Amino acid sequence: MSSISGLVAVLLTVLQWAGRGLPSPVRPICDPRVLDRFIMEARDTENALRGCKAGCGVTGTFVVPLTNVDFVVLETKDTEEQALEVQSGLFLFGQALGAVRESVSRAAVKSLIDNNKSNIHSLGQVLRSLHIKDLSLSPAPAVGDSATRKVSSLSELLRVHTNFLRGKVRLLLTNAPACQQNST
Amino acid sequence: MHNCVALSIVSQRQTVTKRDGENRRWELVAYQLCSTTERIGRFVLRGDKKMTNNNLNKLLAFCVLFCTQKTSIVHGAQALETKVSLLLHAEPENPKCFAEGMSDLTCFWEEDEERAGSADQYSFIYTYQNENSSECSVTALPAAGGKRLYFCRLSQTQLFVPLDIRVFRDDLLIHNRSLFIEVVFLLDPPANLTLTSTGTQGQLKASWLPPSLKYMGDSMMYEVSYAMAGSHIGKVEEVQASSELILRGLQSGTKYKVRIRVKLDGISYSGYWSAWTDPVLMETMPGDLDPLIVSLSLIISLVLTLLSLLVLMSHRRFLLKKIWPIIPTPESKFQGLFKVYDGDFQEWLGHSTGGLWLRPTYFYSEEFPAPLEVLSEVSLGPVLPSSALPPKASEALGEEEDEDKKLKRVDPALMEGWRETPQEHWPMDQLRAIHRHPAPWTQSSLLESHDAYVTLNAQNHSVEEPLDDILEETLPLQVLFASGRTSSESRSDLSSNVQQSSGSGRLSSQSSFEYPNHTWPSKGPGYTYMAVADSGVSMDYSPMSSNKIDDIGKGVIYTNEYKNEIPAHRRPIGSPIHFAF
Repeated sequence: MSSISGLVAVLLTVLQWAGRGLPSPVRPICDPRVLDRFIMEARDTENALRGCKAGCGVTGTFVVPLTNVDFVVLETKDTEEQALEVQSGLFLFGQALGAVRESVSRAAVKSLIDNNKSNIHSLGQVLRSLHIKDLSLSPAPAVGDSATRKVSSLSELLRVHTNFLRGKVRLLLTNAPACQQNST
Repeated sequence: MHNCVALSIVSQRQTVTKRDGENRRWELVAYQLCSTTERIGRFVLRGDKKMTNNNLNKLLAFCVLFCTQKTSIVHGAQALETKVSLLLHAEPENPKCFAEGMSDLTCFWEEDEERAGSADQYSFIYTYQNENSSECSVTALPAAGGKRLYFCRLSQTQLFVPLDIRVFRDDLLIHNRSLFIEVVFLLDPPANLTLTSTGTQGQLKASWLPPSLKYMGDSMMYEVSYAMAGSHIGKVEEVQASSELILRGLQSGTKYKVRIRVKLDGISYSGYWSAWTDPVLMETMPGDLDPLIVSLSLIISLVLTLLSLLVLMSHRRFLLKKIWPIIPTPESKFQGLFKVYDGDFQEWLGHSTGGLWLRPTYFYSEEFPAPLEVLSEVSLGPVLPSSALPPKASEALGEEEDEDKKLKRVDPALMEGWRETPQEHWPMDQLRAIHRHPAPWTQSSLLESHDAYVTLNAQNHSVEEPLDDILEETLPLQVLFASGRTSSESRSDLSSNVQQSSGSGRLSSQSSFEYPNHTWPSKGPGYTYMAVADSGVSMDYSPMSSNKIDDIGKGVIYTNEYKNEIPAHRRPIGSPIHFAF
């Protein structure tokens, strides 16, 4: 009995240790179709909830990043700066969508919001694969308020979310150095 | 001033070629010289005295510079015109805006000429989200159909953020629109569309140069339209984020025209379909023989050949008769004559009598097997007594005397053969009767122009029969040979071993001779008579025409018509005796 329990304990320890996550080398995810899928799902969510009465019962204000892209200005920014913007923005969206999920009551709306939340999480994984630090989980990104604004409705939030993905996130992934090396 | 405005608009458009900076410089130069030209023109019109050669030289120089760049500017202006017309159809909202590159936006709206004001009356106010408003300068251009276009162009834009546009005319809001710039792209058509052969039949490869927009290469969607040259019905194929496409399923050896247009795919960026490129023509590879067609045609030809062979085989006898008619030979009638005796008739006669005489049908049938010699010479001498007839006849015959004497000899075998003839051979009986009861010769009665008649001497038989019953066809030998005519050829037809009675022989012919008074000359015993007839067809016997009957002498004129008829009261011999040579 003692030997068996000891064996089990050793096994569990080993598994936990392994499961903690020595980060395995991840291949860079450069396929634009991955992000395209996230974008399309965000757009579908935005279209589905545009006609929501009374904002689907969502109240309050949400802090969202700015989505505007000026290519001329973009050329002057390097990848890290872009990555920082993207990561903080994704963090903000994650927060906002979490708050929205708490306030909605309809199950259909809930599932849509959940889907978008998981997509944001997946985007973090994609960024990590491109050797871009995932700051989405870290609290309070080092970006000032100038890069954010406030929205007060769910539809506005979702629209900003879609635009953010289509603009800044996509440009970052397209310009990622890890992907540039692969595609000659 | 309008031309300069158009040029200014075009020059302000961001070019997408690699010669960006250079193009912009030239466009500015063009605008400047255009304006300068106008100013100079105004000076000239005013008649300013200060106008000197120097100014004119400058003007010329500007014009030269202008002309060299004219083509590119004109091309740009044409592209603008195309896009304007495209959007007028595609976009219902006003103002109509489109982005051509990454950092530009061109907006325009249309107004009727009557209600249109000057460009100064209009103001174009645009506002990005969470930003202050800005104003864009409005320019006007005349358009077709009595309309006027007002343009505004932004050279630095923000994407993925809403843009509010408001158009005022004399402080009156006429247009209001909110749009995202990244969804109103209207690109230039792809450049350098080329068609090449892939090396495979029915295929062509189309390749082009994608619009050189950064960050948007993988968002481009292309539509390739291809049709046979001259046809209006074509096919369309879409391809994403690629710069070449293989067109399949084309006809071999046909000219195709291909054109392409581009649009952003709509996920991140979106817009309108660009204008079609100019069509490019290319001929596909010439087609080899379709194996199916070749095999089918082979099978069909094989089937037809077999059918024709079958038909030929089933009708081969008929066809052989027509194509290769059998040349009649006397071989079948003269058994062994050619094979054994090489055509030596005399020898054959000597060796084949037994078989011959056992076949009396030969004797009386039309194919007369007996060897006979035709004596062609006959003179109408007086009727000789029967006993003297043969020698007389031989004299009359002239050079045939020797042969006649030969003929006098009676071959005993022949005689025997004759004896064995059955009773049916009535001519023989008749002959025998005549032989015993010779009748006076009626020389004049029997005339025959040119037929050869032969008699065979038969043995003595006493047959009592009236002479009248004798065949009309039977003729004395002398009579048959017309005077002065030598039928050498007829003689040559037969071998010399012909038993003939030259003088008093009775000859039978199937000719329709009319000699009512003919009597048979008497013949001495020992002559074998044989009914011989000429069918009349073998012209060998009758070299002379049938008309020369007059000189034969008095008598009945005989026609040369040989009828194969035997009088009814006679026993039918059958068909006339003729020599089957």
